[in-house]
Amino acid sequence: MRRPISLYGLTFSLPLLVWQLLFFVFPLVFLVALSFWTVKNFTIRPDFNPVNWVTMFGKPVFWQAYGTTFGLAAAASVLASVVAFPCSYAIAFKLSDSARRMAVFLMVIPFFTSYLVRVYSWQIFLSDAGIVNVMLGAVGLGPYPMLNTVGATMVGYMTLALPLVILLQLFSLVFIDRTLIEAAHNMRCGRIRTVFEVVIPSARVGLVIAALFCFILTFGDFVSPVYLGGGDPTTLSILITDTTKSGQQWPRAAVIALTMIATLLVVAFLSVRFAYAGQAKGSRT
Amino acid sequence: MQRDTLVSIEGVIKRFGSFTAVRKMDFEIRKGEFLAIMGSSGCGKTTTLRMLAGLEAPTEGVIRLSGKPINHLPTWQRDTPMVWQSLALFPFLNVRENVEFALKMRGVGKAERRRRAEQWLDRMQILEFSERNIAQLSGGQRQRVALARSLVVEPEILLLDEPLSALDAALKVRMQSVLKNLQRETGITFVYVTHSQSEAFSMADRVVIMSRGVIEQIGTPQEIYGAPRTRFVADFLGSSNIFTGKVLAASDSGVQLETADGPIVLKGARLAQPPRQGATATLTVLDTKTHLSMTPPPDATNVLPVRVIGEEFVGATATIYLETPRGQEIRVQKGHEDLVGLPLDIGETLYAHWAPTDSHLVAEA
Repeated sequence: MRRPISLYGLTFSLPLLVWQLLFFVFPLVFLVALSFWTVKNFTIRPDFNPVNWVTMFGKPVFWQAYGTTFGLAAAASVLASVVAFPCSYAIAFKLSDSARRMAVFLMVIPFFTSYLVRVYSWQIFLSDAGIVNVMLGAVGLGPYPMLNTVGATMVGYMTLALPLVILLQLFSLVFIDRTLIEAAHNMRCGRIRTVFEVVIPSARVGLVIAALFCFILTFGDFVSPVYLGGGDPTTLSILITDTTKSGQQWPRAAVIALTMIATLLVVAFLSVRFAYAGQAKGSRT
Repeated sequence: MQRDTLVSIEGVIKRFGSFTAVRKMDFEIRKGEFLAIMGSSGCGKTTTLRMLAGLEAPTEGVIRLSGKPINHLPTWQRDTPMVWQSLALFPFLNVRENVEFALKMRGVGKAERRRRAEQWLDRMQILEFSERNIAQLSGGQRQRVALARSLVVEPEILLLDEPLSALDAALKVRMQSVLKNLQRETGITFVYVTHSQSEAFSMADRVVIMSRGVIEQIGTPQEIYGAPRTRFVADFLGSSNIFTGKVLAASDSGVQLETADGPIVLKGARLAQPPRQGATATLTVLDTKTHLSMTPPPDATNVLPVRVIGEEFVGATATIYLETPRGQEIRVQKGHEDLVGLPLDIGETLYAHWAPTDSHLVAEA
């Protein structure tokens, strides 16, 4: 059924539509077009040439960075999920209503401070003469090189994603029907086993979505791998900046960016499908 | 303790903070019986069931299962499966996996698990749905899955917390007979919590009536129906006319009561403790044993002039609502053929009467 478009509705929806066209669809289309342009004598020229794709996909450096970025983001998603779960579980099931509200509020506070500032403060903690090494030195240990390692990158990733992962997990755990847990206990399912048999399957969608968000955030992150990881190993976001700096290779950078977007789309699609697996088929209300 | 006692509840009290849900409860559940615990919401019936299941621990008192105290045994160490009001089926498992769950927790092997689950699904006539999701089942089918899931471990006792409350009236009646037959065939002790009198009285061997955390009466449906022990029970059942008045005379075989509407007589009873003269006492008479006539019958003792204030027809029976000159409400339930020729329009005057032997003295007013 088609309904005539009212002027009233249009007034409110048009700005968003224009915004989306202007700042999302148009840049994306431009990015695709850009990836087929060519660079000659440090000047970019409109063209329709697949050379950038062939060059980038032919470079071992690209695939190395791709593997690193994907691996780090996947590891961060697993780590964040595992670290967050006991926390969100405790907030959901062990705290009183008022304490839970307080905990949610505390989880929001990290977002008050810019992520970049939080990462810089980690530098103060992790550098060779930083707070952690000084404290370790006081008991005769270290100094350990902590900054500019993969571990430091991971710390940065957790700073970025953990509060969000906890919140997302929490909201899926809070809505679990408590009688399901009682029913499991009643059928000889002990406390720990109930977590795996009932709580996790019940919260499955939320847990997967939380991990997916962690993946999305960390896969494209530039700050942590540079300022905590020291740019080594190279991630795709670092590779993009390097590519644009060296010889105005914006078209090649566009290839990397488009590959990242495509990867995220595939990962998001598969995650959502995995999250709802076994539930969607033919269910009725 | 009797030999056939499965569960005994001895002096059990349950408090939640300052709220006392169950005050001093003593009763026994017999092996193989269908026991209904009935009362309005907040009477402590569900708390009682949850204590039997091990989901709550009594604040005071002892609960024994087959003679052994189980007060502080957590629910996962007891064999007291429960059927929840919401059914609490796992939406992330299919029908068969739901039924297999309890067996899986007991470490039963995969093939054996499947065999036993399918046996119960077949018995509950839902085998064809075994690979379906819970969301794809109707209310009645889910009910059967919940029963199969609890019964698959073949427990000694099954606890049911208003499992039929979400069903429509026709399905409710059908499931009642399914439950009753299941209980008879398996010999498993059923403890059934409900607020519905029709459910309790149609299925149970014995009924426990609770109010405000206290047991008001325990007995067979016939006993409770014919002889409510307390004024609360008589009111709650709503099937009796209740008269309160001052005792004029009392012996171990009868009572004479002076009510606002005149004297009322009870005869032919065996009263263990006849009330004192001058005390306040309450008599009940079933609405089906109360008769109506156009003129006062010459030989009857309990006769009250009444005015018709309403009537209600359900199937073959009619309920006539009447009022005495002093405002006491009386109900009469009769088949249509017993009412032929009586003027039943609102405002008509009739005479209500009943035999002195059909009265019953309520022990606690």
